[in-house]
Amino acid sequence: MNNLPKTILHVDMNSYFATLLQQENPALRGRPIGVIKDVGRTCIIAASKEAKAMGVRTGSYLKDAKEVCPNILCVPAQFERYLDATRRLKKIFHDVSPDVFIYSLDEAFIDITDCLTYIYKDPVAVAKKIQHTIFQELGEWVTCNVGISHNRLLAKLASGIAKKGNILHITPENKDVFLASAPFSEICGIGYRLEKKLKVLGVTNPYQIRFYSEEQLLPIFGPFWAKELLRIAYGEDSHVLSLIDDQPSHMKSVGRSITGFKLCKDEELKKMVILNLIEEVTYKTRRMNLAGRQVWIGLYGHEHGWSAHQTNKQYIQHTSEMFDLLYHQLYLSAKPQFPVIKFAVRLSLMKKVNETPLSLFDPWQQKENLSHSLDAITEKYGLFTVKPGSLLSHDIIRPEVTGFLGDRQYYGL
Amino acid sequence: MYQTIDEPIEVAGVYTKSTFIPKKFRWKNREYLIQQVTLKSDTKDGGVRKRLYSVLVGKELYRLTFNRESESWTLEEIWLDE
Repeated sequence: MNNLPKTILHVDMNSYFATLLQQENPALRGRPIGVIKDVGRTCIIAASKEAKAMGVRTGSYLKDAKEVCPNILCVPAQFERYLDATRRLKKIFHDVSPDVFIYSLDEAFIDITDCLTYIYKDPVAVAKKIQHTIFQELGEWVTCNVGISHNRLLAKLASGIAKKGNILHITPENKDVFLASAPFSEICGIGYRLEKKLKVLGVTNPYQIRFYSEEQLLPIFGPFWAKELLRIAYGEDSHVLSLIDDQPSHMKSVGRSITGFKLCKDEELKKMVILNLIEEVTYKTRRMNLAGRQVWIGLYGHEHGWSAHQTNKQYIQHTSEMFDLLYHQLYLSAKPQFPVIKFAVRLSLMKKVNETPLSLFDPWQQKENLSHSLDAITEKYGLFTVKPGSLLSHDIIRPEVTGFLGDRQYYGL
Repeated sequence: MYQTIDEPIEVAGVYTKSTFIPKKFRWKNREYLIQQVTLKSDTKDGGVRKRLYSVLVGKELYRLTFNRESESWTLEEIWLDE
């Protein structure tokens, strides 16, 4: 350890999902691309730089995107390939420093403080090396911004405001210039609603918050945000970024949700979707040697929503146990009567299996043996090779990685 | 748009620095010469490891999959420009 101020790099991949599709397929390069979840979907989950330049925003509907960009080309996402690319990025970052945190599929923080003492002299040279290795490893079309600073908030701000494919270093000497010109959308931890509230006060950049005292901010933003906003105003790490230092040893919950193509009225289909999502959740739970004792379900329609949870005395990790609690006990007793577009299930209050009491009852042991055998088949032949008979006649919903990497530990990132 | 094919193919390639590089494949009795691998990805379906190659034959893009457990190749998809 040394007493040098920290040096953090924040690597932000440029339009990652779309760029990788363009790297893969030269016919897509230079064209406005809207990445959709699957064929037939209408929500743009990511846009290429060409589409962004024409005004297409992430999260916009295809109809709206076509109004500003009539020639937009929709291409389905390749989540498993994004995950692999991020794994390769992690390896590149680990070659630079052992202290790497993959913040989301397309962002990472690298602490190079100790490396600067012993290996590297110049952080900008490290950033250039990273950009060059990414170019070699993932391809010529894949670029990234690198932000450098003495904490995560400013490193992330630096990569956010740097020009595409560039490096920006925010130092203690020049940080006020950037804090006085950065939009709040570039500040990690400040959301849209907070930005709107600040605007009412005439505050449009982080630096301007300094003109208010904690006492003045307190009645408007509450005790947490009054302090937090002042920290951000002076360029100190926000609470959300300091949480990176306190990563739990294992996941606290495993969940899965899916938004369908259209409203689902068919009760049998609802049952199948719930079972399918539970299969994925319990498989991941077992793979991580965890068990949970709280189950949660949420169903959402256009105008209706319903959710329920139950906390169990016993820890569970088998599909039949979770399905029994969620479907038979919670869903059927409430039977929410509305068409559903979004399904979500979650298993939480997790513990390591070897820290939970094992059931001594025979039926549990039978389920354990069955799950063990099914997992062995899955390991050898792939997910859903063996599945409940009731899922045979339906299209299987397969696992998919999310951009914010909620399943970071499951994927080993 | 990508057109799903999902048919078995035969692939020939070379090993360079411990890395396999596909050079050509045979599909429906026709041989396709690969000019470039534009993206390579390792994925896992349960415990089944797969290696996905996106390759250019002329200007046409093909998505090939090598199942590392069964050691079999599949032509998954072809890009058809609209």
